[in-house]
Amino acid sequence: MLPRMSTKEELEKIELLQGTLDLLILRTLQLGPLHGHAIVKAIEFRSDEVLQVEQGSLYPALHRLIKRKWISVEEGTSENNRRAKFYALTALGKKQLRIETTKWERLAAAIAQILRPADSEGR
Amino acid sequence: MKRRKRMLELLEDEIREHLERETQDNIDRGMSPEDARYAALCKFGSVRRVKEQTHDVWSLTFLEQFLQDILFGVRMLGRSPSVTIAAILAIALGVGINVGIFSVMNGLALRLLPVPRAREVLSISQILQFHGRGNRDIRNNAGYVSWSEYRDYRDHNHVFSGLAAYEPEAQATLAGGSSRQILGTLASCNYFDVLEEHPALGRSFIDADCSTPGGNAVAVLSEAMWRNQFGADPAIIGKPIVLNRTPFTVIGVAHSGFVGTELFPSDFWIPVTMQSVLEPGWNLLAKDNASWLAMLGRTRPGFTIDEVRADLDVIAQRMNHRYPGRSVSLAVRTARFFSSPEERQFLIPVSSVILAAFALVLLIACTNVTNLLLARASVRQKEMALRLSLGAARGRLIRQLLTESLLLSLAGGILGSVIACCLFGPLVRFVISHLPSDFPPMALNAAPDLHVLLYALLLTLGTGIAFGMIPALQSTRADLNGSLKGDGTYPVSGKGSGRFLLKALVGSQVAVCMVLLLAAGLLLRGLYYAQTVDPGFEIKGVAASFLNLRQQGYDQPHATQFVRQFTEKLHGLPGVTAVAQAENAPLARDLSEDGFMLPGQSDRIPIEYNHVTPGYFSLLGISIARGRNFTSAETHAAPSIIVTESTAQRLWPKRDPLGKILLDSQGHQHIVIGVAQDAQVSHLGESTSNYLYYPFGPEDNARSYVLIRYGASFGDTAKSMTVAAHSMDRNLAINVTQMEDYLELWRAPSRIVAGLSGSLGILALLLCSIGVYGMVSFSVSRSVREIGIRLALGADKRTVVRHVLWQAMKPVLMGGAVGVILCGLVSNLLTSMMFGIGAHDPVAFIFVPCFLLSIAVLATLLPALRAMDVDPAVTLRCE
Repeated sequence: MLPRMSTKEELEKIELLQGTLDLLILRTLQLGPLHGHAIVKAIEFRSDEVLQVEQGSLYPALHRLIKRKWISVEEGTSENNRRAKFYALTALGKKQLRIETTKWERLAAAIAQILRPADSEGR
Repeated sequence: MKRRKRMLELLEDEIREHLERETQDNIDRGMSPEDARYAALCKFGSVRRVKEQTHDVWSLTFLEQFLQDILFGVRMLGRSPSVTIAAILAIALGVGINVGIFSVMNGLALRLLPVPRAREVLSISQILQFHGRGNRDIRNNAGYVSWSEYRDYRDHNHVFSGLAAYEPEAQATLAGGSSRQILGTLASCNYFDVLEEHPALGRSFIDADCSTPGGNAVAVLSEAMWRNQFGADPAIIGKPIVLNRTPFTVIGVAHSGFVGTELFPSDFWIPVTMQSVLEPGWNLLAKDNASWLAMLGRTRPGFTIDEVRADLDVIAQRMNHRYPGRSVSLAVRTARFFSSPEERQFLIPVSSVILAAFALVLLIACTNVTNLLLARASVRQKEMALRLSLGAARGRLIRQLLTESLLLSLAGGILGSVIACCLFGPLVRFVISHLPSDFPPMALNAAPDLHVLLYALLLTLGTGIAFGMIPALQSTRADLNGSLKGDGTYPVSGKGSGRFLLKALVGSQVAVCMVLLLAAGLLLRGLYYAQTVDPGFEIKGVAASFLNLRQQGYDQPHATQFVRQFTEKLHGLPGVTAVAQAENAPLARDLSEDGFMLPGQSDRIPIEYNHVTPGYFSLLGISIARGRNFTSAETHAAPSIIVTESTAQRLWPKRDPLGKILLDSQGHQHIVIGVAQDAQVSHLGESTSNYLYYPFGPEDNARSYVLIRYGASFGDTAKSMTVAAHSMDRNLAINVTQMEDYLELWRAPSRIVAGLSGSLGILALLLCSIGVYGMVSFSVSRSVREIGIRLALGADKRTVVRHVLWQAMKPVLMGGAVGVILCGLVSNLLTSMMFGIGAHDPVAFIFVPCFLLSIAVLATLLPALRAMDVDPAVTLRCE
């Protein structure tokens, strides 16, 4: 469930896996309601374009989150006055985001710890 | 599905929107419009896959909704455990008895034969039609074939890998065994090969065993017979056994699971060519026009039943050419215990009536559950109204409520089926082992199989939907405004359709209950009548012994000699005052009938007849009203007959019957020499049907009843009769019956049906009174306020109770009336079991409804009296 760890030079594009995408969507929506395209753009922008979401995979993920009642959806008009569906974080979603974030941080820390001695041996 | 489509459209819009934005972004970055669009599509990935994946997410939603419904349903059912338990028990009871009776029916009629690959085994029956005059010697079943017909089908068909024929239920006496006759099968020599039943010990028949008629006295024993009569002797093969005075060599012992292909298990099998040896003086093999062999064929792989039918039809057509007077058509079916048309004609209506009666009880149980749910639904009306007003779809709510009732019915159905499956197997075995002793055991397998499971499932689901649908529809059609504001109370005489439904349901319960109880009442009346009726002859102090000497290997001269010596010995027994012989004993359920003609007329008059010795009339106390009795010199050759009074009156009204002539179906002339008093000698409860007596001849000795009038105790008389017979033939099978026991033959079916319908009726009555009680107490508890107001306004307490009572009794009375009318229409079905009282016996038709109504009044009165305890001050204050 992890994006492969690597440096920016080694790889231009990092594939995202399901669980991570959900977390990223929730985190992105914390800033406020957004429509689908804006969500991908925000993720790409905030990761300095390292994380490239396969844009289509966003939609099944959004519906999955709706079904779990972590996000809600409503009709609205976008910045250029076009009709669009806006996704927003629900109270349940906020709680889930906290849980997922903690889980992610512990996981990342644990993996980093395992990887560190390997790096020094290599030198 | 509509919703799904709409969701899909929205998703497509959203994706299109997304792609346009991305394209626009790319154009803003300086790409050409074409490149921009291409890049956007690349980045998005497969649109189709995205749609599919999203769709999957939705489907999961639906499944989860279902799961939610179930969980919610379980919670709701758990919230009112008493209602739930009552409902589950009612359904378990209803489904249980239905599944149980079905498993018995299934064992009788639906199960395939207990042989390997039974689906390939077909039963073939002939349906014969004569053009004009013609008759056929029918031994067991009109659908059976003769030996020559069988060989025709066997040798000329192209569809069977083997076609076997057998005579089922051939009786024989085993020398050295008990005096009871055993049942065996006369089988064609390919019988075991066709059925693929290979003996556990020794060999089965080979073709050579059937090569010469009467030449190969070999036998295969059943495992039970080998165990019980021969102590499971491992060296039995090659030893002789004596069947009907003829030694047979045992060549094999059948597998323990194989007892033949009939309901009554076979104890032995011998080659069909040995028929005339087993029953001397009676060569059926040579008779081309006799129905005595059943046929079973195993189809070659790849042939359908229609192809089999077509192929055999060709052979039947050839046969029709040979015998111009008649035409044969064939009934081909997968073989079961009852597969011939004749048997099915009897079995199908009987079993459908039984199943229908049981289903009625299930219906009553269902109705009670519906009432429970309706009552609960009206309590939940507020909840439903709230959910509806918050925007819940009605369909969704109905689905939720149906899920609840299906949960109930599944729980009840499973409980009932499990209990039925555990209980009915032993029950059937118990009943079979407690049947009258002259009744052979049955190979009835009532264990549940796929049919039973399917039936149980169907019944359970049907039940769930049947009792759940009405409350579900009812409670979701709420008047939102009223229900939300109101406090859930109704006036007693409310016109709400929910109230109407409740009443209609109770009414139908009463109707069903009435039908069952009336049927039971009519049959019980018939039984009582049969017990008290005077049969028109002296039935006490008479013993009968049936001697089927032909089946025990006697030819006619030997039989005559035996009977002469036997009757002489009987005359000498202490206490015996009279001895007579008859072809059929009175009420023994044996009867002979022929079509007679008056000279100069062409109508055939069916008349039952009997061959009797001169002593018959005085022994039974039947007086000769006119003319004379037979003399002992008169035999079949004499033209004399004696008719009964009613027959004489019907044939020669207001004229002297003496000297009149009757022609039998063969055209022989008979002269009336006497008129006997009417008596119920052939059918219990019927003394006026056509009946006549022929003189007894020596031919009749091969198969006759010997009747004696005794003064001592029956036990001693029976013993000395048996001893007398055994002193002449040690191995003779003889049983002596008290004449009164023959009445039991008549009463037994009516006793069984009366017991069945009576216990079903009582069950129905119980359920029904619970239904009435529930309806009334529910409506009283819901209308406490109205009663309070009425009382406060000065109404008399008794008037209130009368009002409540009348409201409740209306549906009961209407249901009762419908039930009486229904039973009046169907009671003709029962006439054959009622022995002389009419199908519309007034005593039953007055007593049973009164009984039912008084129970209903009782069930109404108890809760209605509670209405009297209403204190207007309290009820009005609790607003």
